Amino acid sequence: MKKKNVNNSVAVRKVPLSARIYKYRWFYLMFLPVLIFGILFYYMPMLGVLLSFTKYNGIKDPTFVGMDNFERMFSMPKFWEAFWNTLELSIIKLLLNTGMAVILSLLLNEIINLKLKKLAQTIIYLPHFMSWVVTASVWGMILSPTSEGLVNTFLISIGVLEKGSEVYFLGSVKWWRFAYYVINIWKDTGWGTIIFMATLSGINPELYEAAAIDGAGRWKKMRYVTFPALLNTIITVLILNLAKVMNLFESVFVLQNDAVVSTAQVLQTYIYAQTFNGSGIPNYGYSTAVGLFRSLVGCALVLVCNYLSKKVREGRGIV
Amino acid sequence: MSKEAKMKDKVHIKPFNIINGILFVIVCLIILVPIWKVLVDSLDLRTAYGMKLIPEKFGFDGYISVFTNKTLYRPLIVSLLTTVAGTFLGLTISTLGAYVLIQWEMPGRNFFANFLLFTMIFSGGMIPTYLVMKSLHLTNSLLGVILLPALSVYNLVLMRNFFEGIPQSLFEAATLDGCTPMATFFRVVLPLSKAALASIGLMFAVSYWNDYTNYKLYITNDQLYNFQMKLRSIVLGSDLPSANGGATENTVRNAAVITAILPFMILYPFLQKYFVKGVNIGAVKE
Repeated sequence: MKKKNVNNSVAVRKVPLSARIYKYRWFYLMFLPVLIFGILFYYMPMLGVLLSFTKYNGIKDPTFVGMDNFERMFSMPKFWEAFWNTLELSIIKLLLNTGMAVILSLLLNEIINLKLKKLAQTIIYLPHFMSWVVTASVWGMILSPTSEGLVNTFLISIGVLEKGSEVYFLGSVKWWRFAYYVINIWKDTGWGTIIFMATLSGINPELYEAAAIDGAGRWKKMRYVTFPALLNTIITVLILNLAKVMNLFESVFVLQNDAVVSTAQVLQTYIYAQTFNGSGIPNYGYSTAVGLFRSLVGCALVLVCNYLSKKVREGRGIV
Repeated sequence: MSKEAKMKDKVHIKPFNIINGILFVIVCLIILVPIWKVLVDSLDLRTAYGMKLIPEKFGFDGYISVFTNKTLYRPLIVSLLTTVAGTFLGLTISTLGAYVLIQWEMPGRNFFANFLLFTMIFSGGMIPTYLVMKSLHLTNSLLGVILLPALSVYNLVLMRNFFEGIPQSLFEAATLDGCTPMATFFRVVLPLSKAALASIGLMFAVSYWNDYTNYKLYITNDQLYNFQMKLRSIVLGSDLPSANGGATENTVRNAAVITAILPFMILYPFLQKYFVKGVNIGAVKE
């Protein structure tokens, strides 16, 4: 402790391990809460995936059944439906949200009046902080087919719909996904602009001046200076979020209902419904098996994204 | 040169700016209209709906129904309590963990980093977590919904990114002055990290206040519901507070939604910069 020599690695190596551990004793204590929480809430559930090879109802001890749960799972059309729904909903949502956020950032960047810019930013970030329960409540009312539904009333008043033929957007298989994407764009596009705005503010103004000298107008500058600078950030955002596509749960859970299960069921909601909503005794073994499959696909995606990230971002991975 | 170019630009692109300005007014309106509609309906005592910008028959009866309803006090207190406790606990764990992760020479530091990293790659999933919570007797207990989200690896990494920006020389100076690691933590690290504490603290606070999934999974006793759970059952119509005075059911429902977002809407303009900062710390380095 007396002789401060952390920068000299040779000197550090000479100190025996036990002395170095002793030197950092307080730090081990400080890490203890992280270790305890990590073991309890992350690692113990990981061990729990072994239940997927058993039959377990929470009362009797688990009995080993080998691959039965997986065989059952892969033969279930409902499982495959949920799996493809998960991929489709989260990937299209990701592309739409990112695309909209890029367009919005480019336009936001062109606003000259700083007060208007600040005000616009304050307003477009707002929905991000509303919980999914609140969002679902607000949009449930807006899209409702009754007279309180703003969208239906509006469509009737401009003559697109006739009175009596109101559309139940969140309750029809045809419209549910469209409504889901719109709600997601409304909620998170504004928030998504923050990261792009940060990149835009980092672009060297000299590049614009040079482009102006070369005779580039607004669109050419946007196309040849701004957009290339954003491209790296766009790829980064896509990669980081691609790793999370299997996590889709709450947004779908609060917006779905029995009428739209075929389009709105994703793996997480399928697991929930199998375990907690089914009549009779839960089969934890089966739902754990579905969860394990979800985790493994998620894990593969993270590793692929990490590999892509390292390629694109000069060696920086995502994890 | 640049001034001249700018002048030229200004003259040249005026129509674009006007169109762009109008576009943003429209975007902002699209964002605000749904919220505005709920606000208007929460203050309107008429049952005739449709498109209207102001209440036809103005009255606070919806809010009176919400606030005189005793069954809503408990969820509000639960939300407040878990948010305060969870944010405090979350910040404590994240700052301590992040402080340890910047001790590059510490034996085992890489093991600790990998310990956290692995949780971002693989997870046990919903059901095994539920069974662990059950076996720890943390279901149907507020302790469960406070403890479970308290270790957020993402927030911890954000905090570490911020701590990395503290000049190494400050740590060395503190050590030379005889500060123990704990003292350095309290006297050097924390005072220098107020902005990070604010932004990461706010992220915890928002996620605890908005928590619905964990309550849905681990709380079945309706005495322990938070406001989000209560709001959900009110909006779905199974648990509507009795309408008071001239309020209709719909007025009450809208008033409950506004009540859920009001505290945040008031604080939000003052806190916005911290939220933005949080995203940008994360963007520097994941």
